[in-house]
Amino acid sequence: MGDTLTKVKITTAFEGKPNARALKTYVDNGGYAGLKKAFTMQPGQVIDEVKAAGLRGRGGAGFPTGMKWSFVPKDDKGPKYIICNNDESEPGTFKDRYITECNPHMILEGMIIAGFAIGANKGYIYTRYDFFEEIKWLETAIREAYDAGFLGDNILGTGFKFHIDHYAGAGAYICGEETGLLSSLEGKKGQPKLKPPFPAISGYLHRPTIVNNTETLAAVPWIINHGAAAHKTMGTEKSPGTKLFCLSGRVKRPGVYELPLGYPIEKLINEDAGGMLPGYNIKACIPGGSSAPILTAEELKGLTLDYEAIAAKGSMLGSGAIMIIDDSMSMVELLKVTVDFYHHESCGQCTPCREGTGWLANIMTGIMAGQGKKDDLQRMFEISRNMEGKTICALSDAAAMPTKSIVTKFGAEIADFIERGKRA
Amino acid sequence: MSEHNHKLNSNEPAPAFTPALRKQIESFLTRYETKRSAILPALHAIQDELGWIADEHVEILDKEFGLHRVQVREALTFYSAYRQKKPRPYHIQFCNNIVCCMLGANEVIDKIKGHIKKFEEKGKESPFGVEGVPCMCVCDGAPAMLVNKDRHLKVTKENIDSILEKYASLKSGV
Repeated sequence: MGDTLTKVKITTAFEGKPNARALKTYVDNGGYAGLKKAFTMQPGQVIDEVKAAGLRGRGGAGFPTGMKWSFVPKDDKGPKYIICNNDESEPGTFKDRYITECNPHMILEGMIIAGFAIGANKGYIYTRYDFFEEIKWLETAIREAYDAGFLGDNILGTGFKFHIDHYAGAGAYICGEETGLLSSLEGKKGQPKLKPPFPAISGYLHRPTIVNNTETLAAVPWIINHGAAAHKTMGTEKSPGTKLFCLSGRVKRPGVYELPLGYPIEKLINEDAGGMLPGYNIKACIPGGSSAPILTAEELKGLTLDYEAIAAKGSMLGSGAIMIIDDSMSMVELLKVTVDFYHHESCGQCTPCREGTGWLANIMTGIMAGQGKKDDLQRMFEISRNMEGKTICALSDAAAMPTKSIVTKFGAEIADFIERGKRA
Repeated sequence: MSEHNHKLNSNEPAPAFTPALRKQIESFLTRYETKRSAILPALHAIQDELGWIADEHVEILDKEFGLHRVQVREALTFYSAYRQKKPRPYHIQFCNNIVCCMLGANEVIDKIKGHIKKFEEKGKESPFGVEGVPCMCVCDGAPAMLVNKDRHLKVTKENIDSILEKYASLKSGV
């Protein structure tokens, strides 16, 4: 069991530093030391180190990163790819943007190390298009890295070749799903692909590909530099390391907080963020982006921020986006916004998702218009149940899970709204 | 979402490609592993330069750059970033997701719509158009909006007027 209270800055190490994003600032503060150390190791050792560190995918799924890397066929001599999933779009999340703002070189270094580990020579950073400033910062960082010899055909004279290019998405939530992202990178509609085969075997252009979230890749240089054992001293046994938490809503200090996994959520809200704004109380909390089932204020008592503890409450840590819902918010409106979002973002290829999200949105439109029916709650629950586990990707489940939880935990408020035709 | 769109002029002539735009699209054709990957960047470049993407532009991408019109149209209609109609000079994308809604986004959107309506009642075209968009991932600064490429945070019904006035005076050169 590691330390779950002491704050160590890994992916936000450059927060607030003057000229934070410059290569010089990065190198002067130990940047690219992880890469230099990786070059003294065998690629297999790099994978083993990341595995031993217990790093888990920070985009939402929490899949062990080192294990993902180890799925890439070692004897395959053809092209392989490292893709940084910087298409941040899970509602409530704003951490990948923040890493890009603090220092994009950390992302590049993580990608180069990942490329060295799996034998890839090309990487792409896929960013949402409307991060206009952030994309410029990334492009500047890529140019600086080429000029300094951290990218190119013979990196730091080691003979290792790695190139990074940037690619902008075009406003589709589904491209945050790794196979949807790959379709998009190929210039197609961002529709997810059936798995297996997993991208590590057959990904971008049917070649072995690793897609990792920005935060995951940004944590890699520190792990290689300081070692797996140091990483395991932070966080919990099953969720080691630090995680970025995006705290939003009517707290005094919303923002990105880098905390060891296992940190108490009440401490984050009441101490780090200064508590709620005067006159507002916590009504509920969405702990891991809008796909995560909602928790009541009561359920936050004693809750710690790690994958296991939140799963034990029937929700998920997801992307680390903690949205505090206060008592000003109607749960009918919350549910309407949520189902409208998933309806808008469903890519349309699987019937349960395409139709299911549409039906949920229609029911909520009716309820909001004062035309709700008594059995609407039951119907929404049934529709949600029939959307789960039946589709190519998890978007359908991501719409069903919050719907079921809101309908279950705040059913009385919604039923009252249906009865009156308006908010009480 | 469409309810937030302003009235569109479908008879607007398609603006011509500039030499710089052609050069940029040309560079995308060989930059990525496949030519098809150039479609999204090409569409972004057209929209950045000309404001929107017309049917004629799709034809040019096909005939002059060898990007298949069916594949271009597939991307154009799938991704919500691309506009197929000419936007107003200041196109507002307002987040209408959870946190922004909780902090009053819909009231601000209504106020912007009211602003646009005032112009229309006088028989003039407002320099602004507004649409609700999904989470922009800046929830620590909610409610958030983009005016063209400018990001504005903590936009409220109290400060929206002064933000709009700033753009309106830019437009009229005051």
